[in-house]
Amino acid sequence: MEIRRPNIWYISSFFVSLLVFLPILTVFFSFFEVTTDYFSLLKNTFLLKYISNSILLLVGVLFLTFLFGVGAAYYVSFYDFPGVNFFKWALILSFAVPAYIYAYSLTAFFENYGTAFSILTFLFGPYEYNSFIPKVDGLFGSIISISFSLFGYVYVLTRASFYYQSQNLIDVGKNLGLSSKKNFLKIILPSARPAIIAGLSLVAMETLSDFGTVSFFSISTLTTAIYNAWITFDDLAFANQLSFILLLFILFLFIIENYSRGRAKYHTPTKGGIKTKKKIKLNGYKSFYAISFCGILFFCSFLFPVFQMLFWTIKFPKYLQNLNAWDLGFNTIVLVVLSCILMIILSFIANYGSRITKSKFLDILTTFSISGYAIPGIILAVAFITLVSYLDNLFFINFKSMFIGSILGLVVAYFVRFFALSCNGIKSGYLKINRSIDESAYLLGYSKFKTFTKVHIPYLKNSVFLISILIAVEIIKELPITLILRPFNFETFATTAYIYASQDLLEAAAAPSLFLISIASLFILFVSKYILTED
Amino acid sequence: MSKNFLEIQNVTFAASEKNKVNNVTFNIEKEGEIICLLGPSGIGKTTILRTIAGLEKVQSGKIILKDKVISSSNFHMEPEKRNIALSFQENCLFPHCNVVDNIKFGAERNKDKWLNFSVQDLIDLLHLNEIQKKYPHEISAGEAQRVSLARSLMSKPDLLLLDEPFSNIDQSLKEELQLKIKKILNEVNISTIIVTHDSYEAFYMANKCGIILDTSLKQFDVPYNIYHFPKSVEVVNFLKRGILVEAEVTGETTLQSEDLGTIIGNFIEKKPIGSIVRLLIQPEDLYHDDKSNLKLEVVDKKFRGTNFIYTLKTINNQFIPVFVHSHHKHQHKIKDKFGIKKPVFIDHLVCF
Repeated sequence: MEIRRPNIWYISSFFVSLLVFLPILTVFFSFFEVTTDYFSLLKNTFLLKYISNSILLLVGVLFLTFLFGVGAAYYVSFYDFPGVNFFKWALILSFAVPAYIYAYSLTAFFENYGTAFSILTFLFGPYEYNSFIPKVDGLFGSIISISFSLFGYVYVLTRASFYYQSQNLIDVGKNLGLSSKKNFLKIILPSARPAIIAGLSLVAMETLSDFGTVSFFSISTLTTAIYNAWITFDDLAFANQLSFILLLFILFLFIIENYSRGRAKYHTPTKGGIKTKKKIKLNGYKSFYAISFCGILFFCSFLFPVFQMLFWTIKFPKYLQNLNAWDLGFNTIVLVVLSCILMIILSFIANYGSRITKSKFLDILTTFSISGYAIPGIILAVAFITLVSYLDNLFFINFKSMFIGSILGLVVAYFVRFFALSCNGIKSGYLKINRSIDESAYLLGYSKFKTFTKVHIPYLKNSVFLISILIAVEIIKELPITLILRPFNFETFATTAYIYASQDLLEAAAAPSLFLISIASLFILFVSKYILTED
Repeated sequence: MSKNFLEIQNVTFAASEKNKVNNVTFNIEKEGEIICLLGPSGIGKTTILRTIAGLEKVQSGKIILKDKVISSSNFHMEPEKRNIALSFQENCLFPHCNVVDNIKFGAERNKDKWLNFSVQDLIDLLHLNEIQKKYPHEISAGEAQRVSLARSLMSKPDLLLLDEPFSNIDQSLKEELQLKIKKILNEVNISTIIVTHDSYEAFYMANKCGIILDTSLKQFDVPYNIYHFPKSVEVVNFLKRGILVEAEVTGETTLQSEDLGTIIGNFIEKKPIGSIVRLLIQPEDLYHDDKSNLKLEVVDKKFRGTNFIYTLKTINNQFIPVFVHSHHKHQHKIKDKFGIKKPVFIDHLVCF
């Protein structure tokens, strides 16, 4: 059924896209606004430093995540060694540890008289160990923290690509006389390249967006500069100008990511389904390498921060007693539930609308509206405040009190940031429902609405579940948006941990961090099957 | 007011500019009749079904079902209001329901209408017993087609549309299913339009056949007439059941051909004496006779179980197919001479 005139679907899809697009527009227009002298001062002094720090951070993180992600994906996809099935999913637990919490753990372990010091004292007796223990902080610490918390993206996408790679491809390589090393370098790796690049560009976007880690280690990057311009100098316009520079970087990465992901699609399996790959069994010292690589990666990325936080929570029980875990948990649940409901309803509207109207224009709008995930949370928050202030002046309605420092504002900002997750999730579910299935339902006498409730909803309920969990994990970990837009005295585990840590009370940050990691891990385990694309 | 059950009046069916069938007119006279639309792939047969079902709009003309206009250039009844079921060629089962639930989905409609089959009866008849708890992605394409058919039947439509219902089903099961479905359709008295490219299937299933070639409906008639009295050279070529031999009309009932000599029979259409025509020769028209002096060279021989089809070469390099009973006592090899009974007698002469 072609519906040509603009109707409810057009209008609502248009509204959704506009909502996501407005913050970007705000940033763009603010760039040309007059700011305080601080900008010219900074331009001549620190701006280059900010940019170069951001780039250094990016290069370091990309190198490490490539190494960790591709290495781990290669071992678990092509080899059989003791524990391979455990590592396969254990490695995705790193998604549960936000980089800023990893940074707290690193500091807690390596600082003067920290956990490392305690361990050495316990093992070898009292001594002045501080001078032996390396200090992992600053730029190096940031790179380590971010890499361990983000390598999962590269791991998951590369592994999926290896998983769908045809066994025939590998067999042909062998048949042509390539050694297994050459096979890997000449066939396996190049054909997984789109997936690897897609993973790395996601990592890059997240790295450039990172705020918690770099601010904890006092590294001046573009994100911390935006935050400081706004908080310290109360200069929104300047914050937006910095955002503009950062967005240019992100835009570039977004284009790369989209391009690679489009190409990565061509890896879908042939009609006969996926042949289980014959894994090469590793024995002796070879299996030792594989186990060590995966084991150390799992330990560093997940067990280390968990143990460190657990250790401190036990060591300083008074902070746990002071922690109002119920309230924090409740606040988190409120945010998650409201955001999920909003996002999923709007995703259904956007997808169903473009499905039944068959409109190219709506398709393009939907594509625009998912660009939100590329916008760093900090930019979004600042742009959001700017936008609301504009509207406040324009309409004489008190938008500010409605959106700034309110749960409504938070939910809307989350929506802009994470809409891509839910919209794409519902979309890929819809792609599996053939159009003739809708038509069959009509021909059996079902109206469009009944087709939606009786056919689409039951079929997509798994997708909705999966999406809700993924949104939940993201919101639980989210820091800058929550920090800036939350109502007064409204805390989540993330903000509590951040505030304690920024007050140099790392011991107190341990308990909320531990709660955060546990909840996120639980959620990730729920959906591990989907993340590993083995459903 | 018309008496026909379904009327297609001068309808142009089009899914796109390329895929078009112009000015189609045919009727289903009585409720319960089966119509087969026959034509090569990609000609727009599916578009015709989709349009009748209401999934596409008509460009011109009218479709009238039970005296009600359901499609015209300025009116379009929504598909869910038409009570017409379409069973798609590709798998269109609801992915979240198993086979039984899919069939039951159909039974939701027209609950008060009586059908002399239950869901279980159809499952038994269509051999779906073993897969009834399976989900659509776990069954084969042929099984999915049968489920889809059962689902459409259970919705008790006024008009059932089947798009290549046997295309994914293997030969032996196909024949059994054709038999059963024809029986079911006759018993429940549901008018049906079947689209197919298999002429045997169409001739077996249909009360009437329509031949669609080159953007138009070339002929609409009972299967016997389509086969024996094709109205155009295109229909002959499409059915591939005969060849055209040049001959001169020499009398009221005779023709003279360079290839076959004198031919006697009754003209379907009178042709003036002395005119040169192309005469349709079908494999059953010629009889084998070893004693005849009309001898043609064998170029190919196909064993078809009940008979052989010999392909013979005439002096004008025409290739004529001839049926010979498979119990015929001696065999002819390729390049042998093969005798044809003289004079050739053909009951009805179809000439172009």
